[in-house]
Amino acid sequence: MAALRPLTFAVLIKQVPDMNAARVDRASACVVTSGQLGISSYDRYAIEAALRLKEAAGGGEIVVVALGPASVKDAISRALAMGADRGIHLETADLNDADTQAVATALAQAIAPLNADLVLAGQTSDDYEAGQVGAQVAALANLPVISNVVSIEREGDEVLVRRDMEDGYQRVRAGFPLMILASTGLDEPRVPSVKGIMGAKKKPVEVTSVTLPEATRLTWETPYVPPKTTGGILVQDVPASEAAQQLVAWLQEQKLI
Amino acid sequence: MSSSGPGGVLVVGEAAANGALRPVSWELLTVARTLADALGGTVTAVIAGVDSATAQAWASAGADRLLLADDANLAGLLTGPAAAMVQQAATAAQPAIILAPGTTAGRDYAPVVAARLGAGLAADCVDVTVGGGEISALRPVLGGRAVSRVHFTPGQPAVVTIRPGSYARAAAGATSPTVEPLELTLAPDDLRVALVGTEAKGGEGSRLDSADVVVAGGRGLKEPDKFALVEQLAATLGGAVGATRAVVDMGWRPHHEQIGQTGRTVSPKLYIAVGVSGAVQHNVGMQGSDAIVAINRDPDAPIFKLASFGIVGDLFDVLPALNAEIARVKA
Repeated sequence: MAALRPLTFAVLIKQVPDMNAARVDRASACVVTSGQLGISSYDRYAIEAALRLKEAAGGGEIVVVALGPASVKDAISRALAMGADRGIHLETADLNDADTQAVATALAQAIAPLNADLVLAGQTSDDYEAGQVGAQVAALANLPVISNVVSIEREGDEVLVRRDMEDGYQRVRAGFPLMILASTGLDEPRVPSVKGIMGAKKKPVEVTSVTLPEATRLTWETPYVPPKTTGGILVQDVPASEAAQQLVAWLQEQKLI
Repeated sequence: MSSSGPGGVLVVGEAAANGALRPVSWELLTVARTLADALGGTVTAVIAGVDSATAQAWASAGADRLLLADDANLAGLLTGPAAAMVQQAATAAQPAIILAPGTTAGRDYAPVVAARLGAGLAADCVDVTVGGGEISALRPVLGGRAVSRVHFTPGQPAVVTIRPGSYARAAAGATSPTVEPLELTLAPDDLRVALVGTEAKGGEGSRLDSADVVVAGGRGLKEPDKFALVEQLAATLGGAVGATRAVVDMGWRPHHEQIGQTGRTVSPKLYIAVGVSGAVQHNVGMQGSDAIVAINRDPDAPIFKLASFGIVGDLFDVLPALNAEIARVKA
């Protein structure tokens, strides 16, 4: 088999609060996130996919790109510890989640000089879950985009990709340059080794200060917790056996068992 | 050729691979009509991948004008051709709002269309309203725990994807839309991704699609071995086992059992969510279920908003009690 050409990868990552630790504060109708920040879960799959493609070709360069405040350096370090080669931190005090197009524009400008063969990002972020930025970057960078990707096979200068769709898996083929949005179902992201963590400290990170344009297309209200509107039955503060009896009685009444 | 004045609504329908309309297509016409009436505009509908009769029946549920696209490159609704279709329909309709389904395809082409039009974009919305000439949309954020209202700047088009199940389905026969073919003009760049084929989701997961009862487990089970409780309940009820993305990611369960946006979409008669918080990502895959039962320790878990019957409690106490109670009534 002919040797694979080493590729240049750009992987776009976002630092987000750990959503599993998020709790609702009823008094203020706000969601309280823990101080714990990490790389958004889908983005970790994107990093892993780039690492595997690089390893398969025996070479190449992986550049991780992240936008956000000073804390984002930790997310970049983590990606470098996983095995990425260098980082670009677009530092901005106020990550404007509202205008995803402004975020996408900044990212598209940052990756343009890289001339990456493959741009990877997670399908969506764990916090705002808009799933917009990746496709918007692709549109602005004039890259074809393939979303919901669960497997990537490289075949020379093309990739054969499986997408997870409503009706089944769709298989598509595309050449480079290309943008891929990673879904879970791709290979499990690796945990950095101690050697990786030590090595990451020596890898270059370019920090560029950016100012996002004012949101001109839309503005967001602060997220709030909506009042419960369930018309359903809620059983609480009763022993498990009683809750189970009530549920079974209801299931029988509904002819569900 | 009829013209719809600027300022109306463009609604994009969608068919499944087998040519049947996705239910969300009908739901979109409900909200499209309401918005167009509020804006004093018309509804233009565009769709591909269905026969003309199906398209016309669909459009008659609220549209004034139907643009029917028929191009082999639209097979599989790959982002390039689909974005071109929506963009060209927008050129024809000059809408104030573009409504697309919050499906995999819709959530892919909508950002591309918005980027090209310089339009504002809000994804996966559950409510869109017009008031005082301003368009706003409500969307869940932060794992479904909260919602945020997005206000579009007046004078620019708004692109909105609507989460399936957010609106009632409109009924056919409400309007008599004009019908025009939409001749697609595709650039080479629109065709850089080629459809190779499709494959069904196989394995045990295929039973999930047809099962009348699905019992799904989440992170609340704490460790993989505890899924035995879920399996036992599923077996008792003759149902199939499902799992959330969190537990699949942790390797507790195979990917083919995953319910949700990046997994399978199920709509059984009875869905029992055990230790599942109810993240948006999960809920889109099961909210079409007839009856939803949730068992969770956290009274604020978003899953309780969907549940027809919720139990706030420790699943490690409730599940054994439930298995015992079912055995008792069946005996």
